[in-house]
Amino acid sequence: MVDYLRLEVRRTLRDAGFVIGGIAVPVMMYLLFTNIGGDGGTGWKTASMVGMAAYGAVGSALNTGGGVAEDRAIGWLRQLRVTPMTPRQVVAGRALTGSVTVLPAIVAVLAAGGLVNGVRLAAWQWAAIALLLWLGSIPFTLLGLGNGYRLTAQTTGVANLVCNLGLAVLGGLWFPVDLFPGWLRELSAYTPTRRFAQLGTAVADGHAPALAAILVLAAWLAAFGSYAVLSYRRSAATI
Amino acid sequence: MSFTGAVKTYGAVRALDGIDLEIMPGETVALLGRNGAGKSTSISLLLGLREPDEGTVELYGTPPERAVRAGRVGAMLQETRAVPRVTVRELVSFVAGRYPEPMPVARALELAGITELAGRRVDRLSGGQTQRVRFAVALTGNPSLLVLDEPTAALDVEARHAFWNAMRTYARQGHTVLFSTHYLEEADAYADRIVVIDRGRIVADGTGEQLRRSAGGNLVSIDLAGRGTEGLTLLPGVRSLEVRGGRALLRTDDSDATVIALAELGAIRGLEVAPASLDDAFLALTAHERETV
Repeated sequence: MVDYLRLEVRRTLRDAGFVIGGIAVPVMMYLLFTNIGGDGGTGWKTASMVGMAAYGAVGSALNTGGGVAEDRAIGWLRQLRVTPMTPRQVVAGRALTGSVTVLPAIVAVLAAGGLVNGVRLAAWQWAAIALLLWLGSIPFTLLGLGNGYRLTAQTTGVANLVCNLGLAVLGGLWFPVDLFPGWLRELSAYTPTRRFAQLGTAVADGHAPALAAILVLAAWLAAFGSYAVLSYRRSAATI
Repeated sequence: MSFTGAVKTYGAVRALDGIDLEIMPGETVALLGRNGAGKSTSISLLLGLREPDEGTVELYGTPPERAVRAGRVGAMLQETRAVPRVTVRELVSFVAGRYPEPMPVARALELAGITELAGRRVDRLSGGQTQRVRFAVALTGNPSLLVLDEPTAALDVEARHAFWNAMRTYARQGHTVLFSTHYLEEADAYADRIVVIDRGRIVADGTGEQLRRSAGGNLVSIDLAGRGTEGLTLLPGVRSLEVRGGRALLRTDDSDATVIALAELGAIRGLEVAPASLDDAFLALTAHERETV
């Protein structure tokens, strides 16, 4: 399975769309949003850093599903089924690929924050933010897999894009939720992205993530996990 | 490897309508049929990609899935496209690594004739080159059963020749090979045994020679020269009649009797007697509605 992981990670990193959309765009958006039109101070630079790292991680996590849809379409998953690999290994390998390929986005945006925007945090905070964003991206990988196993390659791309942008905006990854009207702010509290980013912002503020954030995210983990399992079961017969 | 009463339906279509087939280790078998005859469905049952609705399919005495997990099977599937963003060597090495006793990757590349493409990206190759990569993927695990679904569809004549040579080399090492094709000559030239499948049923099973014979010996043809075809099908030995370009083609079990009867009718202009070709045999076996012209 390590071989499979290595192969798929390599394929992902060779995808120009992934490198630009999943790594370069979040970094550029972060640098633009924090440096154009007067900077919003250190607080915004830190919050936006976490938000954009989260955005990049969500995009990369969803991208895993795009890979699955592509592999279904070209028959690669069917070819794997006639090798000694078990379907379970293939799915697990794909999920692990997702969790590896979110790392470049997280690291790149955090590096831009520390090196370009002068965000100063304790070493443990950097490590904890990276780790929490990494773990917190798992529900989004599952959402992507759910889309990838259920939809065609084209519709998976669209679905992932809609999920990515919609959840990013609603969850306040691009703009602070303080700018939202009251009702939208309330809605935002239930989005997985808002809670996902809170894992990181809490640590940047020097305290542990709130229990509510973890609970909401856990609920989404369960929901997206079930979605992925159902999609996989449905597609398994036709791969 | 065996099929026992295997039935597979897709909606209202009975893709396989009760297949019984047994293949022994070391055989090279061609599954011959038109498009949509049930070849690919048979292969997906054999590989455990689909379950039969009725009947059973076994590989080495176990369910196909288990034989596949044990690394005893390698397959070249139809309708698979190039895997993007990997090189040929990466892809073949990866697949080889899944099997318990693979052949060296260099050997697989050599057999498939793609040694010089090893460093190229699979998605940047031509259709024929991709096809050869798929062949390498199928055989690199050194499986005892190699299954090839329409393996030469995208190949030009030269590549086709090279492909069959490689397949033969592999088969000679004692491996079992099953390939599907709708090319008669390929089935005849490269298989020990031809299984003809039509509309979900096996309609013939034997060597090319046996098929030719079973299809009804010889073909007697005459110029009609304006006369009608009435009564010709009633002549001794005649099994079927076809009119092509002003000539009557009579497929017959007893060409001598047929010719004598034709002579009695005075219908011997341009008389020819020829052994049935495999093409004729195939048509006779699969196109029943045409025979009753």
